[in-house]
Amino acid sequence: MKNVKNKNKLKYKIIIVIAVLIFAAGIAGSIVVLNAPKKNTVIIKSDGKILYTLDLSSEPDRTFEIKTDRGENTVEIKDGKIRVISADCPDKTCVRMGRLESSAMPIVCLPHKLVIEFAAADDGVDAITE
Amino acid sequence: MKRIDVKRLASLGLLTALALILFFVELQIPNPFPVPGIKIGLANIVTIYVIYRYSAGEAVLLTAVRITLGSVFSGNVMALFYSACGSFLCLLGTIFLKRIIDERHLWLTSVFGALLHNTGQMAAALLVTQTPSLIVYYPFLIVSGCLAGAFTGLCAQIIILRTTKFKP
Repeated sequence: MKNVKNKNKLKYKIIIVIAVLIFAAGIAGSIVVLNAPKKNTVIIKSDGKILYTLDLSSEPDRTFEIKTDRGENTVEIKDGKIRVISADCPDKTCVRMGRLESSAMPIVCLPHKLVIEFAAADDGVDAITE
Repeated sequence: MKRIDVKRLASLGLLTALALILFFVELQIPNPFPVPGIKIGLANIVTIYVIYRYSAGEAVLLTAVRITLGSVFSGNVMALFYSACGSFLCLLGTIFLKRIIDERHLWLTSVFGALLHNTGQMAAALLVTQTPSLIVYYPFLIVSGCLAGAFTGLCAQIIILRTTKFKP
């Protein structure tokens, strides 16, 4: 009886350690993502196809609309920063993501399949995966 | 042939309604994080409860009905496609973990369930958008999944342990 109880305790200890390890890995991953350096070239993709390639350091301040058959997003470029200011999707996650700051964290509008991200330094990885 | 137990059927119907209500209450809470896919998952309190109190088949049925009705009522079919992929991976994992983890450690099941849910969601999003860079959200989803899973799991655990006299 006692043996069974101890075995059970050990089992839960192992499971808790696994959960804690996954949690720690998640936090470590988040920190890496938030600290990734940013670049100047931004690409705007819809459904995997590149619609715009912009150099933010030379781009004038302006707003423009991106229309796809799934919906509309209004994009603003100001002081060398890019963000989505309005969208007709229901969740508005892309708007609340604010300005594009990290190369590891693109602005994404899942309902419209729209992605705004910094271009990779060399196109090696993306060229292979696409 | 097994006859349908009317009492069981009625209580499963009530639980489905409860899950739907929790789902809509949650839709009203604005998401403070700029990452798609982060949710508390209040409706999962009901799912976990049904998995531990009822059978695996009944839990799958309840989730399928909840997701279908949820997508009809909220009108956001795409987001529900992602969460449906997550839900079914989560259900499979939770039904398996139920054999290993007992009611007193139910919150652990829920944590792994939430992680599996986020994994399924991520896989669906990667497949649909064909954007490998989406994977950067995964660490955030892991952190939020652990916290949200522990919370909903604790809720379900408290309910299960305090209603031991209730027989489905």
